[in-house]
Amino acid sequence: MDSFVTAILLLSTLFLFRTKKTIDAVVIIAVQSAGLAIIALLMWQKTGMLHLFIAAVLTIVVKTIVIPYILFYTVKKTKAQRNVERTMGQFGSIFIALMLVVMGQYVASHLSLPGAEHGMRYLGTAIILVFLGTFTIINNKQVLMQGIGVIVIENGLFLLTQAISYGMPLAVELGVFFDLFVAVVIIASLSFRIHSAFHSLNTEKMQDLRG
Amino acid sequence: MLAIGLLISPLLTGVLAGLCSKYKAADLLQVIGSFVTLCLASMIAVQVFSSNSINEFDDLIYIDALGSFNIMLISIVGFAAAIYSVSYMRYEVQEKVITRRQLGRYYFFLHFFILTMLIVSAVDNLGLLWVGVELTTLVSAMLVAFYGTQHSLEAAWKYLIMGVVGIAFALLGIVFFYLSGLNAIAEQPAAALQWTQLFKVAAELNPRWVEFGFIFILIGFGTKAGLAPMHFWLPDAHSQAPAPVSAVLSGVLLNTALYGIFRVYAIANVTLQGHAGDYLIAFGLFSISVTVPFIMVQHDLKRMLAFSSVEHMGIITLAVGIGGPLGLYGAFLHMFNHSMTKSLLFFSAGNIAQKYHSKYIDRISGVVKAMPFTGIVFLLAAFAVAGAPPFSIFMSEFTIMIAGAEAGKLWAACTFAALIVLIFAGMSYYVIRMGFGELPTRIGKKPTDWWMRVAMCIPLSLILLCGLYVPEFLEKAIHTAASVLQGGGEGLGQ
Repeated sequence: MDSFVTAILLLSTLFLFRTKKTIDAVVIIAVQSAGLAIIALLMWQKTGMLHLFIAAVLTIVVKTIVIPYILFYTVKKTKAQRNVERTMGQFGSIFIALMLVVMGQYVASHLSLPGAEHGMRYLGTAIILVFLGTFTIINNKQVLMQGIGVIVIENGLFLLTQAISYGMPLAVELGVFFDLFVAVVIIASLSFRIHSAFHSLNTEKMQDLRG
Repeated sequence: MLAIGLLISPLLTGVLAGLCSKYKAADLLQVIGSFVTLCLASMIAVQVFSSNSINEFDDLIYIDALGSFNIMLISIVGFAAAIYSVSYMRYEVQEKVITRRQLGRYYFFLHFFILTMLIVSAVDNLGLLWVGVELTTLVSAMLVAFYGTQHSLEAAWKYLIMGVVGIAFALLGIVFFYLSGLNAIAEQPAAALQWTQLFKVAAELNPRWVEFGFIFILIGFGTKAGLAPMHFWLPDAHSQAPAPVSAVLSGVLLNTALYGIFRVYAIANVTLQGHAGDYLIAFGLFSISVTVPFIMVQHDLKRMLAFSSVEHMGIITLAVGIGGPLGLYGAFLHMFNHSMTKSLLFFSAGNIAQKYHSKYIDRISGVVKAMPFTGIVFLLAAFAVAGAPPFSIFMSEFTIMIAGAEAGKLWAACTFAALIVLIFAGMSYYVIRMGFGELPTRIGKKPTDWWMRVAMCIPLSLILLCGLYVPEFLEKAIHTAASVLQGGGEGLGQ
């Protein structure tokens, strides 16, 4: 089960670099977050720590339902379904993404961190998610896809804390969820305004401020 | 209870002023609200500086001398910005740049923004500190985008993405600290993120993870603080935001991000036996030097001021890196001086930009003739920020140089001196050109509004006073705040 979830996380994230539709990316975010929730549930089952259960429930509510819904609504309203534009071509994107996967595994195996007993196996995946999220932001020219990159990074960090120490103290965890929720609301609201000011969501039109 | 009041007051102010449908009442309400915040902050400062630090709600809220110092800065600049906003925004409404309805949203976000900065300074837990810093980015991005023009949206988007990604890396750094804390204080996992606890066991933490974590946090919060080379968002955001927001961004938001770095630095420097300071010196000097060409060749007034903020953040970082009692004293004195001077400068620049309908330096001349009060304040503040005596920034820059020489880092002090001389030359050239010269015929004489005069007099009086001599209570407060970073901050009376 553990390896299965990890595989789903990796494959779905890699698909981010192939898709041409923003709506697919939103679905990927939902799938990825569901994977995180399952991982937290598995760990809760093994350790019986209550705050892992709370984290899992929050992940399902906030990250798999509310955030994708907000993004879905934004995509529909800004008619951004089909305009994923990347700096690199499809082959280049996928190639670099695969290199990052290898690098993430390599880094994870050399960090020699004293992880938690049931979490250690996810360390590599967590680091890969952070890398791939950053690359999504660099590679994409469309604002919503950059926002999705931010969520992937946050997901990676969430998994990292789970892997190392079964998550942060509950108060911090709640704060991080709240921040992510506010961030998505603001990304959506800025996307609307960018769409109405520029009639497009492409960041190439936004390069006027220099020096 | 004071601490709770401090956090509730800006929240209530923002919500009420945002909902209030009587416009004059809303203006007045938010000024009174921020005055209440200032009073509460002063009461907290008196308590913290005279007896001991505040610790409430199961260690959730913790205010020591350093936090209280930052809270005072936030509430002074916040109060001045609230007063200034009344007249600045009335003019914008009159010119039909924004509608009266949008103004409610502005008040809400402005006070919510102040609240988020207060949260950062009032927590003990590094994780919650991170949550606060992230919230400051999110809320202030809405303020940068407030005008909704193409340029302001571009600036806000760049700011949001750079800020959020940068801060995500800071979270990674905090995870490393948590890990090393868990290893050292195994019996209480909840305490492993608490600054006070980590600081106590700093010598036993794993140096490798702490160095990792510190670098990530320095890069992450450094992005927010505008340290070069992560400063690209800063001139855009500062030049596109409404002037009172630029004043708050530059005057205290950058300090708040630095505050996060310094908290972590205090731990890392003990663990790494004094080597963490080298990173700060490198980033500080680099930030100062990067701004030189941008200030010397600049065509936009507000961008010039923004680059000057990058420079001053570099100076503060450098001073903390130099360390020692004198270096830290200089750093916090400079933090205070920069907050006051830069917010004053943004107030007067905003006023000038409104009257000339332009931010471009070429189109501004004869400011002193057109607006005697604002013009003179602008000249005074600009020379003060460039570091001319007898203003307060000169005092703190001089202190930092001496501290550098005393600490045996003569090369750093000399480079620093050479760079600020260049910046002084660049800034004073443009400022004199704008201040004097022919008055364009399209601009008539305009008296400065009373709200603006009051708003400008608050920081102006403080910088004039501190240029001549540093009052005893301020000196004591700065010494106490600086001593927190050296481990003497466990309350004076305890």
